Amino acid sequence: MSDVTRSMEATAPDPTATVERMRRSMPSGWVGAILLVASEACLFGSLIASYFYLRFDASSWPPDGTPAPSVVLPLAFTAMLVATCVPIYLGVRAARVGAVRTAWWLIFLATGVQATYLGLQIWLFVEELAKFTPRSSAYGSNYYALLGVHHTHVAVGLALGLWVLAKLFGGRLTNYRLNAVRILGLYWYFVSAMAILVVITQLWPSL
Amino acid sequence: MEATAPPASRTRTERLERIWKEPSGVLGWITTTDHKRIGILYFFTAMTFFAAGGIEALLIRTQLIGPNNTVLSPAEFNQLMTMHGATMIFFFVIPLSTGAFGNYLLPLMIGARDMAFPRLNALSYWIFLCSGIFVYVGLLTGNGPSAGWFDYVPLASKTFSPGPGIDFYALGLIFNGISTLAAAINFIVTIFKLRAPGMSINRMPLFCFAFLAVSFALVFALPPLTVALFFLELDRLLGFHFYDIFRGGDTILWQNLFWIFGHPEVYIIILPAFGIATSIIPTFVRRRMVAFPLVALAEILVALIGFGVWAHHMFAIGISTITAIYFAGASLIIVIPSAIQLFAWITTIVTGMPRFKTPLLWIIGFIVLFVMGGLSGVMFAAIPFDQQLTDTYFVVAHFHYVIFGAAVFPLLGGMYYWFPKVTGKMYYERWGQASFWLTFIGMNITFFPMHILGLDGMPRRNYTYSPDLGWTGLNLIETLGSYLLAMGLVVVAVNLIVSIFRGEPAGDDPFGGDTLEWSISSPPPAYNFAVLPTVSSPYANWDEEDRKLDKEKLEQGIEVLDQGHETAASTVVDGEWDEILEMPSSSPWPPLLAIALAGIFAMVLLKLWLAAAFFAVLVGLVLVAWHGGEPQEA
Repeated sequence: MSDVTRSMEATAPDPTATVERMRRSMPSGWVGAILLVASEACLFGSLIASYFYLRFDASSWPPDGTPAPSVVLPLAFTAMLVATCVPIYLGVRAARVGAVRTAWWLIFLATGVQATYLGLQIWLFVEELAKFTPRSSAYGSNYYALLGVHHTHVAVGLALGLWVLAKLFGGRLTNYRLNAVRILGLYWYFVSAMAILVVITQLWPSL
Repeated sequence: MEATAPPASRTRTERLERIWKEPSGVLGWITTTDHKRIGILYFFTAMTFFAAGGIEALLIRTQLIGPNNTVLSPAEFNQLMTMHGATMIFFFVIPLSTGAFGNYLLPLMIGARDMAFPRLNALSYWIFLCSGIFVYVGLLTGNGPSAGWFDYVPLASKTFSPGPGIDFYALGLIFNGISTLAAAINFIVTIFKLRAPGMSINRMPLFCFAFLAVSFALVFALPPLTVALFFLELDRLLGFHFYDIFRGGDTILWQNLFWIFGHPEVYIIILPAFGIATSIIPTFVRRRMVAFPLVALAEILVALIGFGVWAHHMFAIGISTITAIYFAGASLIIVIPSAIQLFAWITTIVTGMPRFKTPLLWIIGFIVLFVMGGLSGVMFAAIPFDQQLTDTYFVVAHFHYVIFGAAVFPLLGGMYYWFPKVTGKMYYERWGQASFWLTFIGMNITFFPMHILGLDGMPRRNYTYSPDLGWTGLNLIETLGSYLLAMGLVVVAVNLIVSIFRGEPAGDDPFGGDTLEWSISSPPPAYNFAVLPTVSSPYANWDEEDRKLDKEKLEQGIEVLDQGHETAASTVVDGEWDEILEMPSSSPWPPLLAIALAGIFAMVLLKLWLAAAFFAVLVGLVLVAWHGGEPQEA
C-alpha cells in the first residue's frame, strides 16, 4: 500500500508528475475516453459504410450533373489537421512531466492550426453547397452528412482544447487537469485518424 | 451490525457515514450521485414504463379477443403496438437490467464505493427519464409513432407517416442512446478500474462478466442505430434522401443499420438476465457454478457473435443466397455459447442442494422458457422456414418467449432475491411463489397458442381478423392468458410494496448469498464498505476467513479510506491497488444538463432552430459549471 497515491491531492505540477510516474495503469477518465472514441469510431464506420452501400447501388456516382469532388484542397487541409498531432503529442508529454508552460504553448499552437482548419473547411463546405446540396440526391445527403459530422467533431475538439488552455493558464496543473490533457490528446489522434478516412471517402469518386 | 461492533470500528463507520451523507429530502434525490439511489430511481422509473407497456399490451390483446373488434381504431392499434415494443425494449428492460440492477449491484459486487463516474451516472438516469417522457408526450398528444418499434422505411418516411409521431420516436431514441452509451461506458470503467484491490479479473462474479459483455455490446451497437435515426430525421426534417429510392437512396439501408443494432440488442436484453441467473443459482443450490471460466467466456462470446447475425431478420427481403447462408450459419453458431450456459445452469442445479424459494423458481421458469424460445429461434436460422413464417404470429411467440420468458423472468427473480438487501425487509414467500405460478401459467397461455396461429398464417401487427379464418378460439385464449399474466405481475408488485412496510426484518444475509453485497448491512450504508474487502474468489462472501479479516482491518483502521469521499482504483487485469480516488458527491448539474438536452431535442422536433440553439448554449453553460470545480475541491 505504501506506493499507492492519493492522486487527486496532486494539485501542483511536481506532485502531479509524481502521481503520473507512479501510476501502474491507465486512469479511469482515460479508459472512459478510449471507450467513447471506440463508439465514435463505430459511428464514423456506419456513416462511411452507408456511403459505400449507396455508392455500390448507384449506376453513376456522383449522379449526373453533380461535379466530382476536387482533390487538392481537402487533402491539403487534412494534412494540416493531421500535422497538429505532433504538437499535441509533445504537449501531452510535457504535461505528464509537469512542464505546464511548454504544454500550454504546444496545445495553443495546435489549437490555432485546428481552428484555421475548421475555418477553411467551413468555407469549402459553403462553396460546395452552391454547386450541389444535400437535397440534390442521396450522394449529396451522404456527402454533407459525413462532412458535417466530421466538422462537428473538430468543433468539439476545439472547445475541449480551449477549455484545457483556460484551465492550464497560469501554470496550475492538477491530476484532474492532466487527465483532461491526456484525453484531449487521445481525442485529437482519433479525430485526425477519422479525418483521413473521411477525406478518402469524400474524394473516392475522384481517386 | 454497527451496534455490536467494537468502539474503534464504530467510530470509523460513523465518520464514514458523515463523509458520505447526502442531502435529505427530494433535493437529495435530485442531486444524488450515489449509485444505489440512482439504481432505485432507475427501478421505479423503468417499472412505471413497464406498467405503461403492459397496459398497451392488454389493450392490444383486448382488441384481438374476438374478430372484427372495435375497441381500438387501426391508428390507435398501430400506435399502441409501436409504443409497446419501444417501451418494453428501450424504456423498461434495458434501464431496469443495466440501470437499476447494474447500478445498484455492480459496485457492491466488486467492493467499490461508487461507479467510476458518479455524476455521469446521474446524467444517464436523468436523460433516460427525459427521453421516456419525450416519447410518451407523442403518444399522449395523439401523435404516437405507428410504424412498429423497428420503424421501417418507407412506412416511416415523411410521405407515408406525415405526422410528428416518427419524429418523437427517432429523436427520443437518439436522446435515449446518449444515456445508454454513457451508462455502458461507466459500467466498463467501473469493472475495469474500481474492483477492490485483490479482485483480479478471474475473481470477479459472473454477474459482472455478463454486464461487461452487455456494456461492450452497447458501445458498439448503439452507433449504427444513431446513424440510422439521424439519417431518418435528416430525411424527414430537412428533405435529405438517404431512404428515398427515387434520388439514389435505399430503404434496405435502414434495415441493415437497424438490425446491426437490433440483433446485438437481443443479447443486450438477455445477458443481464444470464448474469442474474448465475447469481441466484449458486446461492439457492449451495454450490459454486459449474464451468465458471466457460460460462464467463460464453457470456462474452454471445455478445460478440451477436454482431454477426443481423441479416437473419432480413431473409425475406431478397438478399443473395450466399449472404443468407452465412447469416444462417452464424445464427446457428451462437447456439453453442448459449447452450454452454444453459447446461452449466442445469448441471449446477442438479448437482447442488436446491432450495426452491421464490427467486430460484423464477430462474427455473426462465430456463424452461429460454429453451422453448431458443428452440423456436434455431428454427428461424433455417432460411426456408424463416421465409415461410416471417411476419406471422410464430415470430411474436418466439421473441416473447425469449424477451419475456428469458429476460424478464430473471429480472423478476432478481427483484425477489435482492429485495431484502435493498429494503432490509423480507417479502412474503407464499405470495412470491403464487406470483411465479400465475405469471408462468399466464405467460404460456398467452404466448404458446401464437405458435399455432403463426403456423396457420395469422399475420402479426394486424389490428383485427375475420371470423371465418378459424383464429377466434386461440385469440380468445391468448387474451385471457394475458389477463392472468397481468394478475401475476400485480401480485409481484403488491407483495413487494406491502413487504416494504410490513415485511419481517431480513437481516444482512437471509439467503447465504455468495457475493460481496451480502457481507454488508441491509440496506447498505452510503459508503458501501467500511474497509476495502479482501477477495480471494468470485464467491467472496463464502470465504469466511476473508470476512473475518475485514472486521479486524476495520478495528485496526487498515484500508478504511476515510480522509474524504474516497474509493480505491486498481489495475485492469490483476486488480492491484493503484491509487486512491476522491469521488464527486451530490451535484445539481446532471439533471440540469438533461433538461437542457431535452430542450434541444424538443425544439428540433418543432423545427424551432433558434430555440434549439439557445438550449445548445445552455448545455455549454451547464457543462462549464459542471467542470468548473474539481472533485478534490468539493
